[in-house]
Amino acid sequence: MNLLTTVISICYYVFIAYVAILMIINLIRSRKWEQELLYVIVLLPFLLRLFRLK
Amino acid sequence: MLLRKLIISAFGLTVLILGGHSFYSHRHLKEAVVLGPGVTDVVKLGDYFDGIAGSINDCNLYILDSGNPGATILILGGSHPEEPASRLAAWLFVENGLMTEGRMIVALSANRSASTVTRLSGAYPSDFTILTKWGGRKFRMGDRWSSPLDQWPDPEVYIHSPSGQELAYVDIRNFNRCWPGRANGTITERACFAFMEMIRKEKVDLVIDLHEAELQYPVISTIVAHERGEELATFVSMMLPDMEGFNMGMEFSPKALHGLSHREIGDFSDAVSLLFEAPEPFLDATRGRTTREQLLTGIDEFVVKAGKAGLLFEKIDEKGWHIDVRIGRHTSAILQTMESWTEIMPDRPLSCEGVPRYAEVIENSTGHYLHNPATSSKVLYE
Amino acid sequence: MSMTAAATIILGIMVAIYIIAKYFKLSTELAMLAAALSGSMAGGTWLAPRHIAEGASTYLDINLIFISATLFMNILKAAGGVAFVVRAILKRFHKTRITMLMLLALLLLVPGALTGAGSVTVLITGGLVAVVLSFMGITKVRIAAIVFIIAGLSAAAPPVSLWAMMTAAGVNMPYVGFFLPLLIPCILLALTTIFILGWKGERINLEKAFAELPPAPEKMNWIRVIIPFLVFGFLVFMGRQWPHTTPIVGLPLMFLLAALAAYLLSPVKIEIYKISRETIKQLLPLIGTLTCVGILVQMMTLTGVRGLLAVTAVTLPVVVVFGFLWVLLPISEAVLMYGAAPVIGVPLVLLFNNIGLDPIIALAGMSVIWPLGDAIPPTAIIGRLTVDVVGFKGSYGTFLKTCLVPGLIIALVGTAMVVFSARLGFLTGL
Repeated sequence: MNLLTTVISICYYVFIAYVAILMIINLIRSRKWEQELLYVIVLLPFLLRLFRLK
Repeated sequence: MLLRKLIISAFGLTVLILGGHSFYSHRHLKEAVVLGPGVTDVVKLGDYFDGIAGSINDCNLYILDSGNPGATILILGGSHPEEPASRLAAWLFVENGLMTEGRMIVALSANRSASTVTRLSGAYPSDFTILTKWGGRKFRMGDRWSSPLDQWPDPEVYIHSPSGQELAYVDIRNFNRCWPGRANGTITERACFAFMEMIRKEKVDLVIDLHEAELQYPVISTIVAHERGEELATFVSMMLPDMEGFNMGMEFSPKALHGLSHREIGDFSDAVSLLFEAPEPFLDATRGRTTREQLLTGIDEFVVKAGKAGLLFEKIDEKGWHIDVRIGRHTSAILQTMESWTEIMPDRPLSCEGVPRYAEVIENSTGHYLHNPATSSKVLYE
Repeated sequence: MSMTAAATIILGIMVAIYIIAKYFKLSTELAMLAAALSGSMAGGTWLAPRHIAEGASTYLDINLIFISATLFMNILKAAGGVAFVVRAILKRFHKTRITMLMLLALLLLVPGALTGAGSVTVLITGGLVAVVLSFMGITKVRIAAIVFIIAGLSAAAPPVSLWAMMTAAGVNMPYVGFFLPLLIPCILLALTTIFILGWKGERINLEKAFAELPPAPEKMNWIRVIIPFLVFGFLVFMGRQWPHTTPIVGLPLMFLLAALAAYLLSPVKIEIYKISRETIKQLLPLIGTLTCVGILVQMMTLTGVRGLLAVTAVTLPVVVVFGFLWVLLPISEAVLMYGAAPVIGVPLVLLFNNIGLDPIIALAGMSVIWPLGDAIPPTAIIGRLTVDVVGFKGSYGTFLKTCLVPGLIIALVGTAMVVFSARLGFLTGL
């Protein structure tokens, strides 16, 4: 049970990392400043969780 | 375009670094505990259950043993770390208490994980300082729920064990909805299970779970008692106005409401379980500015307005509910409970000296009873 | 300066900045961010990075549900599963409109009822139902209204109604006795909605529909379509049936595992990276809104603006509260989302309890009204998601206008449940 819980937890962090990477790629390729700012704001909670800060 | 991207990213990075630093400092803030004359031993919760050992919820348990025969009382501070008077009242026992009959076990951070995080969208301050003659003592402001860094993900609905009652999904991280706990459950459930193991192994006779509540919550300024604690709670409730100068009601623990300490500890151990609630306007949804000052003074114009509209279950005026008042209510209520217990069961007495009562805490302030870690030899950290 | 005066000034500044930002054609999300930051500065807390970061994190879990569920549906769509199912439903039920409408209402009610989230309904069955409805001659705007309203009702429907659960927890009331008081109005109102908005239309022309629908891949079959949903359904069932002997999976991972099943069973090659990037792009306005709403609410709480709104709402006279529940609850939902339950729901239930009403029925009535707020700007989370999923390209105002009639009926029923709750107490079975 504990092992499964750990695996699930890792899956969530991997998913968070994957989404964060996708957002960064989209941010780099974006051409509108509004979209860029929104990507930066939306990225915050993903990075905070990924780095285990919040 | 590159420059624009860099400027926008720099803004995000600044918020990330400054915000992240604040969260990190909060989670790792060390709160000093100066061991008082009565502390005879400090053990870990994990000593009673391997499943919690070494984890963030492996909290310290302070033992104050008189060496004389008597009962054993457990004081739970920090079940909900967003209720600071519950932790600080317990702190005053550890730093000042001297048991003369029986034994006391104190937890200052019953759900330590929840003390390392603040409520999302609550805008809580990360910490607060209690002023003393020698400076100040800084404490973490916490949350009602364990940190998602320690317990993630949540289910879509929380099904309590063993009752099967359905509760809101977030309450799977609520320490006072997880009693009696599960050995193979989440970290919050395991912490409750570890406490139950400790209560059983140490043959604890009486458990007091300290809380604070918003004034719009119907269960406030009261003792919630398991049916085996009804006589004791009634006695205490009757004595408090005359002996200490404040009122505290008494309510029965509802049998259909599961996961709470006053219900499950009584049902799953031989201990008598009581829960004390003090008023904390900081928790009210109608509160105004969310500041450290409001947290400590309990002064709030909007909560007063809600009171005037008859929406509250406790009085409030322009003086608010100062933390000294809230802490004093808890220390006096605990001391009065021990005295009443001893009157009811003289063959298993409980007696404690050195801990300030309601009037003393208000007169001298809480800081007067917190000792300087820099000049003390026995200091631990929470 | 009194707290009321200070909070009123800050609120005024926030509203002014929001209006100015919209005047300069800033998106709703960024206008909310600007309003939040201006409120923080006016409150004397400057940019408060801790609070920006904490507010931004408020809806992280909901954002993860949106992303994983949309990824799942996008993969299924790319695999040809959606086209296959729509073709099959049309073939089987195209002759009986009543049966078809009832079946579609049920399809919309189930996901939200099980998960407590209207967004899950929109993402899981919303798109599929929308395609079927479009072949029944119903306009896109009506389809969007049907999907939105029933998705909201599905979120309020038992067994999981988050508004009821969170408010009940706030007043120390067990979440017991809510099943029938929530189920009956939700089913009746869902059927009323689909019949009001979906009754008029044309007979399905099967040949025309099949010609317009994208073809399903040859190797696509029911097993390939159903297994991913079974994976999801089994994981939900597992959590309910064996909550204490199985690990907590969480909705995002359930959707991801369903997506994995859809990917593995797809008869055509799926470009997972491309779909993932498009999913993020597609959802940016939605998760951006949620993130900015989180920051806005955090700053409102920090500066006392939230308290001002809450205390003003709950200190109105009871008759006025009854009369304005249909406005008060949706607006609180639009600003605070589930946060409306502890902020507005708790004091209102206490108020109703004090005057002798049945708190369970009253709360059930309120829970039915709350989801209507998910279409109201500035947040309009589920409303915008629905419009996006259904593919309605017209003005958002037209969509809101179409929701008006069923919305008012729901508000009326919900308010009646509150006002007459004492007489309806038998429904709780307690």
